[in-house]
Amino acid sequence: MLLRGQNSSARYLLRRSQSLSRQSSHALTRLYHVTAAERAGQKECDIVIVGGGPAGLAFASALTANKALHGSVEVTLVEGGDLSKVHDWDMPPHAFSNRVVSLTNASLDFLDQIDAWQYVDAARTCPVEDMQVWDGISGSRIDFNAVSLGVGRGPGSTQMARLTETLNLQRGLLRHLSQQPNVTLLDNTKVENIFNDDIPGGGWPMVQLSTGGVLRARLLVGADGINSPVRTYSKIDTYGWDYPTRAIVATLLHPPRTFSPNTTAYQRFLPTGPIAFLPLSPTSSSLVWSTTPALATVLTKADPAILASMINAAFRLPELSVRYLHTRLLEHPSLSPDDLRAEIAFREQAHAIAPYSAHASANVNPDDVNVGIPDQGIDAVPPLVARIQPGTIASFPLRYRHAEAYIGTRTALIGDAAHIVHPLAGQGLNLGLGDAASLARCVGNAVMHGSDIGSHTTLAPYARERYFENHKMMSAVDKLHKLYASTAPPVVSARSIGLEVLNELEALKAGIVGAAGGESNPRSSPSSLWGTVTSGVETLVDGARFAKVVGSGLKSIAGGVLQQVARAAGTGPGEDRRG
Amino acid sequence: MPRPFLSDALPRNVRCAHSIIANLRAFANPNRYSSALHTAPPPPLPQNGTAHPHPHPRISTVNDEEIAHFSRLSKLWWDERGEFTLLHKMNPHRMRFIREKVLEVLREDDRNDDAVALRMRDSNRLLNGLDVLDVGCGGGILSESLARLGANTLAIDASAENIHIASQHAAADPGLSSLSFRHTSAETLLQEESKKRFDIVCSMEVVEHVNNPAAFLRSCAELVKPGGHLFLSTIARTPLSYLLTIVAAEKVFRLVEPGTHTFSKFINPDELIGFFTKPLNEGGRPWISRTYAYGLPTRVEAEVRGIVYVPWRGDWVLAPRATTPLSTQANYLFWIRRPKENV
Ligand SMILES: Cc1cc2nc3c(=O)[nH]c(=O)nc-3n(C[C@H](O)[C@H](O)[C@H](O)COP(=O)(O)OP(=O)(O)OC[C@H]3O[C@@H](n4cnc5c(N)ncnc54)[C@H](O)[C@@H]3O)c2cc1C
Repeated sequence: MLLRGQNSSARYLLRRSQSLSRQSSHALTRLYHVTAAERAGQKECDIVIVGGGPAGLAFASALTANKALHGSVEVTLVEGGDLSKVHDWDMPPHAFSNRVVSLTNASLDFLDQIDAWQYVDAARTCPVEDMQVWDGISGSRIDFNAVSLGVGRGPGSTQMARLTETLNLQRGLLRHLSQQPNVTLLDNTKVENIFNDDIPGGGWPMVQLSTGGVLRARLLVGADGINSPVRTYSKIDTYGWDYPTRAIVATLLHPPRTFSPNTTAYQRFLPTGPIAFLPLSPTSSSLVWSTTPALATVLTKADPAILASMINAAFRLPELSVRYLHTRLLEHPSLSPDDLRAEIAFREQAHAIAPYSAHASANVNPDDVNVGIPDQGIDAVPPLVARIQPGTIASFPLRYRHAEAYIGTRTALIGDAAHIVHPLAGQGLNLGLGDAASLARCVGNAVMHGSDIGSHTTLAPYARERYFENHKMMSAVDKLHKLYASTAPPVVSARSIGLEVLNELEALKAGIVGAAGGESNPRSSPSSLWGTVTSGVETLVDGARFAKVVGSGLKSIAGGVLQQVARAAGTGPGEDRRG
Repeated sequence: MPRPFLSDALPRNVRCAHSIIANLRAFANPNRYSSALHTAPPPPLPQNGTAHPHPHPRISTVNDEEIAHFSRLSKLWWDERGEFTLLHKMNPHRMRFIREKVLEVLREDDRNDDAVALRMRDSNRLLNGLDVLDVGCGGGILSESLARLGANTLAIDASAENIHIASQHAAADPGLSSLSFRHTSAETLLQEESKKRFDIVCSMEVVEHVNNPAAFLRSCAELVKPGGHLFLSTIARTPLSYLLTIVAAEKVFRLVEPGTHTFSKFINPDELIGFFTKPLNEGGRPWISRTYAYGLPTRVEAEVRGIVYVPWRGDWVLAPRATTPLSTQANYLFWIRRPKENV
């Protein structure tokens, strides 16, 4: 009677307890399965994480830090690449990897709490204490720092965020994990296929490895990046688009500034995309420049001196001239560094930029900038780039992707597997770390209550906690990108009003800090400040609410202008039903 | 037993309105407020050693109609987003209550040295080695959780279908070796020669579905070892609970299958407390020695905690301890400890 309808799987069923089975027919013994797969190298696992990127490693670390899981939850992490390369990664103190992330104070708190930050080489990281963001066309500027906003990491702290090489973080997380007993790292191992077990009442994910084994997972976590096999297995769609831009990254070398430490982050919004200068040390900074794919190709292939000159000009020349230089370079990709410098010098003259002023770069020896009394306004622009660290120029496609759901049947997605966002606010990995923290918390709660950690009931709070938070932040970043990509005069003028308005409103400033840095508040999630940013951006885009902010006098003017802004911002490439 | 009489001939919305009216009319009947615990006559005492050739013990509190109802739904037990979604969501809160009380008693028993309680506070194996019985386990939602915390768990149910589904589900999980299922009733267990008694007996959302709640409670209580715990959860018989569980959950929002609940069988917290303030057996001593404000017992003898579903959160909230009996107007959890000395 008990095995009715299970004939095919009956061979897997064993009566486990002879003594119980002797009881009368109304007594049922527990049934225990031994599957064919188990005999052929199948392993039962509590949590299988696919992906040893920063999100996967941070999630594994967060799990091991939770005492409640000790002795009851075994973690297996599968990574296709060679993790020993990350573990043994080493660079001389004055050289820096070109992949750099800005970690918010909330992310740093999280890494601290899980005991992982102590394994990161802090000497290679750099605090962001001041942030300068300006509109490439109108010149409207927001300048903010942790002190004026009171958002430092702890009382008296001037740190808004901390720039860290991704490899430094990953290496730290790996070193932390290698101390933990409950984690098995399987690197150089690709997940080839994921399917369901055929056990009645089961249906758990079976993870087929390139090395031959099969892992049966109670909970399968996809930290497996943009092409997430876990997401595909979970039949979760993503929506989004590819931006018509690529991000150029490079490590920039420059002489130290005598008048200030190199702890200011600069970002200028050009119509082709934002260009960001992120400090790493007194003499090194990291570039993230999103621009047209054509220009990215020319700039990454050209003499590095060309890129250096173009970066210096991009932070200094009026937008019209920057655009002119782009066209010039696209038409003459083989332009020599000297010809480019002459071109820049000519543009400077045309704009009446004095040869040794803060906005001049063509004929300035970067080493001279720091001699004597600094030119007024010099801290409005980043240090002059002297050289580019060899071998660090690369470019990446930029995308917007959001999974339709974060959880499936016994699966959960974290990090880039769940969402990819434009890097202009430096939020990508911070969102992923927020996911890792939240999911680890849910798993911890579940274990304390004897819940099945793979169940929907366990995972649903994770999705509830993260999905909308991430979505708000992602669409705010996307809108910012589209808003600033426009050159239409009404949009630009509204934008300058907007930026000015932003500058006035403390709350909105705090929101922007959340964007590129982050308030450190244990009670708020890493991106909670983005709630404010969202409303800030919504304010720009939504005429009615904007009018409320600036007062009824501006209403009639602003209303019409902002409708156009809204249209421009809302109809970017690949805008979809949810955008 | 009153069940909603849904006529298939009527369109759904009409049927729905129809049955709400039918229920409202029934609700107006003052009998609905009478306690199921006290109106039922005491069950005839079972003859010791009676053999039961078929699964249902002849003398029991099992309600065949209720069992048929849940058997029909049994396939849905583990669809966490289906029929039993509210129960799945409630489970972690029930477990939290169990954790809290077990820890509290550990502390209470060891006043001078709460090292044990401290050590267990963060433990994921809080129930390690304890014998735990889950009466009316359904699909095994609670039973699995108890076993995961280390308890040697026996889960029983009067529906063979439930036991089938529950054991199949648990068998797919390699972490549940301390869990076993039996198709039987509390009364049958009680009569068994082994005289097995349990450190913890749980019966969640069951007492409102049985024929003779008083007899059922007596059986559950007798299965508890001296000094052990009895956990119950059920629904109070109040206008609020009628609105929430019958009108809203069953009829309007269809969160649970109509017919899942029978209002007249709901039991109020004071009725449960009253039940245990009297001796369970002749000559025995009551489990609750005295009551205080609002007729509540001391926390070391028994406790009632309301549990409320908050729709906009999509989750249950276990009412804080200090709240008034208002929070126990609908769903509530009940804990009571059997006195250490034999009663
Ligand atoms: C130019 C640029 C600048 C950025 N700047 C910032 C910033 O300032 N701040 C910030 O927070 N974020 C930033 N980001 C985003 C950040 O880099 C990413 O969000 C982050 O690296 C994603 O980490 P992840 O672990 O989720 O995914 P990934 O790093 O993509 O890791 C996925 C891993 O899964 C593995 N994998 C995939 N498939 C399989 C398989 N089948 N079998 C086994 N293994 C598999 C891969 O090998 C890989 O190691 C930036 C991104 C770009 C492009």
